[in-house]
Amino acid sequence: MKIIKKLFMQLFLTIISIVLISGLPDLIMNKNVSMYFQKIKVVLLDVIHLNEMTYMNQGKQRLFLEDIWSPYLYSLIILFGALFIAFCMAQLLTWCTLIMPMFIRRTVKNILTFLESLPDLLVFALVQMGIVLIFKKTGILVSNVASLGAEDRIYMMPIVCLMILPFVYFYKMMILLSEEELGKSYVEMSLAKGMRRIYVLIVHVTRNTSEGIFHFSKSVLWFMISNLLLVEVIFNIHGITHYMYSDFRPEMLAACLILLVIPFFLLYAVFEWTIVRFSKRGELV
Amino acid sequence: MIRSIKFWVGLSILGVFIFSSFGFALFYDSDVRQVQLLYDDNKNLIGGAPFEPSFMFPLGTDPLGYDISQKVLQGAKFTLIAVIAIGVFRVLFSFIVAIPFAFYLPEKIRKGLDQLLSSFYFIPLTIIAVFILSPILSEQLNAEGDEFFLYSFTERIGLEVIILTVLVVPLLGSMIGNMMAAVLKEEFIEGAKLLGASRWRIFTKHVIPHMLPKLVIVWCQQCVQVLIIFTHLGYFKLFFGGTDIDFNPIMADPPKSLSNEWSGLVGDYYIQIHANPYIALGPIIMFGIAIYAFQLIGEGFQHHLQTRHYKTMKHDSMSGKQKLVSETRLSFDFVHKRSA
Repeated sequence: MKIIKKLFMQLFLTIISIVLISGLPDLIMNKNVSMYFQKIKVVLLDVIHLNEMTYMNQGKQRLFLEDIWSPYLYSLIILFGALFIAFCMAQLLTWCTLIMPMFIRRTVKNILTFLESLPDLLVFALVQMGIVLIFKKTGILVSNVASLGAEDRIYMMPIVCLMILPFVYFYKMMILLSEEELGKSYVEMSLAKGMRRIYVLIVHVTRNTSEGIFHFSKSVLWFMISNLLLVEVIFNIHGITHYMYSDFRPEMLAACLILLVIPFFLLYAVFEWTIVRFSKRGELV
Repeated sequence: MIRSIKFWVGLSILGVFIFSSFGFALFYDSDVRQVQLLYDDNKNLIGGAPFEPSFMFPLGTDPLGYDISQKVLQGAKFTLIAVIAIGVFRVLFSFIVAIPFAFYLPEKIRKGLDQLLSSFYFIPLTIIAVFILSPILSEQLNAEGDEFFLYSFTERIGLEVIILTVLVVPLLGSMIGNMMAAVLKEEFIEGAKLLGASRWRIFTKHVIPHMLPKLVIVWCQQCVQVLIIFTHLGYFKLFFGGTDIDFNPIMADPPKSLSNEWSGLVGDYYIQIHANPYIALGPIIMFGIAIYAFQLIGEGFQHHLQTRHYKTMKHDSMSGKQKLVSETRLSFDFVHKRSA
């Protein structure tokens, strides 16, 4: 019960801060504080009556919620897909790397430091160019490099673009945390008892690093939502951030951000709850 | 003295960029070379702009024949100094906010506040920055058809720095506050308190020396983040110091950066990614190098912190951690440590 109360408080604060921030462009444009509060009131009313909010589409007033569902789901599929694939790949490769000899691990870490510093825009550009190059050389179009409009949906390119850097971040963080964990005495103990190294790694070390990874994944997600805007604009994808960017009103910004935040908020709440239970159970035994 | 090679490599990359940029401004007056047509010795035409990267043009030229490497060189000082300044401001303000957070708030309230502030994890910085900065940085058109900015040049830079700083202070402040609270829980603080140290003395003599090295690492991470945001803003045609937009209805020029700073170059040239990829990639690769340099500084410094009291290292084959073997004899030391 306490957790639920806390979560509602947090969600409420998130929404309030989004509303407050979304009014800021108006404050800057008009240099007038009272206008700012008026604008915030408008935004707040729009957010509360979200089902009545309208927007202009090709010169026509349309209901916001009716139109937003399909692009919203599309964006969520891209985001969740990228996050999920990045996480799974990183976890698998971490297990593979940690049973390798020392010098390979050190090389992997150095390569990861280098990959980490690639700007995301460069990654997108390279992926785009790579696909064009493959097409020129072999005539095989791996995936469309741009979406042609609202009806045309591409999944592979945006997911690949979005997952590369989070994958690198996860991979590096997992290796660092696991290595720290491997130095602890319980690992030595279980190895001395004759457990297989891979078993200790997968069952015990992974479980103990999961909490750290979970907290780290929040900042990865933060980074990914920013990237989503970039990817949708670069590949001309009509997702939720496309609506946000092309409309450019504070109401729209607030409504879209809130819609984008809620599923992740719920997901994290569930995860946090399970992790707390999981680690508590471990302590009791 | 810092012995880590990584640290010095990173620092020298940044140093070379900034100093050569200033040198270029000082000795050549930042005059960017423009070559539209190229002839060989017999006055035969051998090429026209844009040129591919070669010995003559390390990063190629743009379609107007301007040398991109020199543009990059000219802009380096603005971008890097802005990044360093924003990084410093972010860490500084967060540190100031963190002081009451760690010292005066009781544990329970701090935990709760920490939870509340973590809601900021869900507000993506680039999106907010794009929305807030676009009225400031883009040139506008008024009813008479004149182009104008809402704010003057210094105001624009000031506002951009302030906004990019303030947006992260809640998150960074709570993070630094937690670090500080962890230091305050150490045993030597208890000892100092028992000996009668005031809060001020604990702060200056114990907390600051412990926090400073950590803050350097946080600063490096923040600089990397600012660089990434600059590339994003560049892509959305919001350039540091203002975007010069041509409102001419017929054949309008593309939006221009006022000072050739790097995010401007990214935004100007990204559109050419399919026709002339090297033009688009040059400035982004420079961003990559700068990010790598900051990361090297951070990692090198961290390595230095872990090893500064030790002379030799051994590798532990199990954890991959470097086991530190102390060789420095303290003035008072047990000979048989094992039995203790």
